[in-house]
Amino acid sequence: MKDILTENKVSLITLVGPPNSGKTTLFNQLSGKNYKTVNYPGSTVEYSISRILNKYSINANILDSPGIISLLPSSPDEKISVDSLFSHPKFGVPDIVVVTVDASQLSRHLYLVNQLINSNFRVVVALTMNDLLKRKGYQVSVQKLSSILNCEVIKVNGKSGEGIDELIKAIGRQLKNNSYEEGRAEISFNNSSHDLLGSYKKIETIENEVLISAGVDDKNGTIDIEKLNEKLVVLNSGRSFARPDEFTLKLDKIILHKYFGLLIFFVFMSLTFTSIFWLAEPAMEVINELFSYLSEEAAAIAGDGWFGNLISNGIINGVGSVLVFLPQILILFLILGLLEDSGYLARGAMLIDKPLSKIGLNGKSFVPLLSGFACAIPAIMATRTIANKRERLLTIFIIPLMSCSARLPIYALLIAFLMPSDKPWLGGIVLAFIYLFGILSSLLISSLANKFSKNILKVKDNSSFILELPAYRIPSLITVITRTFNNAKQYILKAGHVILYLSVILWFLTYFPDTNPDIQIEGKTEDEIIQLKNSERISNSYAADLGKFIEPVMKPMGMDWRIGVSLISAFAAREVFVSAMALIFKITDDEDNLQNSLLESMKSAEIEGTGIKLFTTATTTGLIVFFVFAMQCLSTVAISRKETGSWRIPLLQIFVFTAIAYLLTLITVNGLRAFGIN
Amino acid sequence: MKSAKDLKLGERAIIKDIDNDHPSSRRIMELGFTPGQEIVMLGSTVFNDPIALSVRGTIIAIRIKEAACIKI
Repeated sequence: MKDILTENKVSLITLVGPPNSGKTTLFNQLSGKNYKTVNYPGSTVEYSISRILNKYSINANILDSPGIISLLPSSPDEKISVDSLFSHPKFGVPDIVVVTVDASQLSRHLYLVNQLINSNFRVVVALTMNDLLKRKGYQVSVQKLSSILNCEVIKVNGKSGEGIDELIKAIGRQLKNNSYEEGRAEISFNNSSHDLLGSYKKIETIENEVLISAGVDDKNGTIDIEKLNEKLVVLNSGRSFARPDEFTLKLDKIILHKYFGLLIFFVFMSLTFTSIFWLAEPAMEVINELFSYLSEEAAAIAGDGWFGNLISNGIINGVGSVLVFLPQILILFLILGLLEDSGYLARGAMLIDKPLSKIGLNGKSFVPLLSGFACAIPAIMATRTIANKRERLLTIFIIPLMSCSARLPIYALLIAFLMPSDKPWLGGIVLAFIYLFGILSSLLISSLANKFSKNILKVKDNSSFILELPAYRIPSLITVITRTFNNAKQYILKAGHVILYLSVILWFLTYFPDTNPDIQIEGKTEDEIIQLKNSERISNSYAADLGKFIEPVMKPMGMDWRIGVSLISAFAAREVFVSAMALIFKITDDEDNLQNSLLESMKSAEIEGTGIKLFTTATTTGLIVFFVFAMQCLSTVAISRKETGSWRIPLLQIFVFTAIAYLLTLITVNGLRAFGIN
Repeated sequence: MKSAKDLKLGERAIIKDIDNDHPSSRRIMELGFTPGQEIVMLGSTVFNDPIALSVRGTIIAIRIKEAACIKI
């Protein structure tokens, strides 16, 4: 149970609270945003842990637990959250539980507080969103609430930091307080709705007692007549604290409007989607150029032997292919974070729930699916918000079918080959069509997988969509940025390793056995000689052997071992396909741009010994179809294994999607040929 | 007996009972839908499902099928 983080005398403070209660904002205040994220062993339930900032001079770790509304779990993930509250396998039993309570949601949030106190935890209540309650004309009498609950209650403002010092003092007092009897009462209440209703009855009485007019000075009981008069109108309208935030109600008249709602949803989503690409593009270009510069420099320093080649082509390019997607991931999470924190995302999930439920998914599947257009790795990580296991597994299952950005350079190349160069707009239409084709296919596959879900997903349960729509507010930039960077870090750590190792392995396969080929050097520049050497090397490499080995599989599709090798290379990361093609088709990229010279050699390439053109309209279209479906990204496989907890889903993804890709490519190529299109 | 799914836009009602047979009924109660509480139907989507209900000062989106457990 002991760990570096739980060494002696360091107390453990666990932060608990319902979703949208300001828990994470408070955590950021206490931890100074310098935290690490740990998974509950063997699960995807995530905890953030940090030492409480030095300036608060308290020797304690603070653990941010996932949001819960009750100690009686409704989903497997919730059960883990609750169980680990009683005893976390890594961090132990909390000395103090700080529970965040939204003051404007008092009756609902006190329900959890009540359960925690009944379970014998040392509870400190952090009362958040007091400004929201004040807008309704009320405030909570801290003294009354504290004496009724018999625990400390502190008003805090997570954004401004107001009240944090007092909260720390209260935690300090409770740590020194030895009057508590030890031992938790493991959920001393039962499941019956009778108990639940009794608990709510009790809370309602408390609520009526502690909610006082915002005009009353809570400390000494005097009344500010002027402020009281201001609020009189509100007070006369009955239990006005039971009304949602006025601004939210007004805005929801539009956002939850039958038709405007749909329109706004489409506007927001298209903006998100396009900015993933347009905003990220310049940054991606910079990263690309930086790494090709570094790669050249490294080659110049380390020489053109195998070692220099390993550094420049294997490692530096490998790191580059990981980092090139970072801008997209940062932008995606930034926008999603802003939408989530402002309260919109929950409404978007509500809007799309019905159509997604038809194909076995959930409104909450939407954000992960959208993220899949940038990169499947963060997208699969984002499925954790889906409580229902069947829907979560199904979402993960189809995410690789979303056309991720790594496929863009490949589509760009293949479309450029198919389309006349004087009509660039035609390429855009074809690209949009490919995306649409991918989306429609994934919907079809999802509904089929759902039909056979007993066999494929092996889970059957109650599908549910109950989601709190939080009050609209201005997003907390610090929270959003912190979360964005944390997600980016996870991407680099989790996907980065795999991509890097694979790039090195692929480099090995394409470099060795390092034959020193005889080439005509007369009349050629130094660059051309190096390029030719590289091409010869790959033609004789282990990868080429592998390509020739799988040639019988490629032939029915009208393709040869060279495309086979490129496809194998694409397993590290799809976009490697383009550079592998460039190597195999002996491209010299000194003056002309790479794509144009690659297109030229694609046009002249023939299947060896037959004189039949290798790249035709039929085979190129077939290749596009192949990339739409094939499960080629091994980092996705790795993350899918990790997030689903078994090899079932990732293996199914590899076999099912690659089989579909192969069959459809076969049908496309031969179908087109049958219609006379070569 | 009428339920929350029969509410029209802007209509209010007092919860009479929660149907205990539905697997989601406990979660529905835990979120604050308990007998005696006032609910207001605040909006829906173009597909008319889920609906947004206000309860105890917050707004909850809930599928029609689940809203049917909230008897009014």
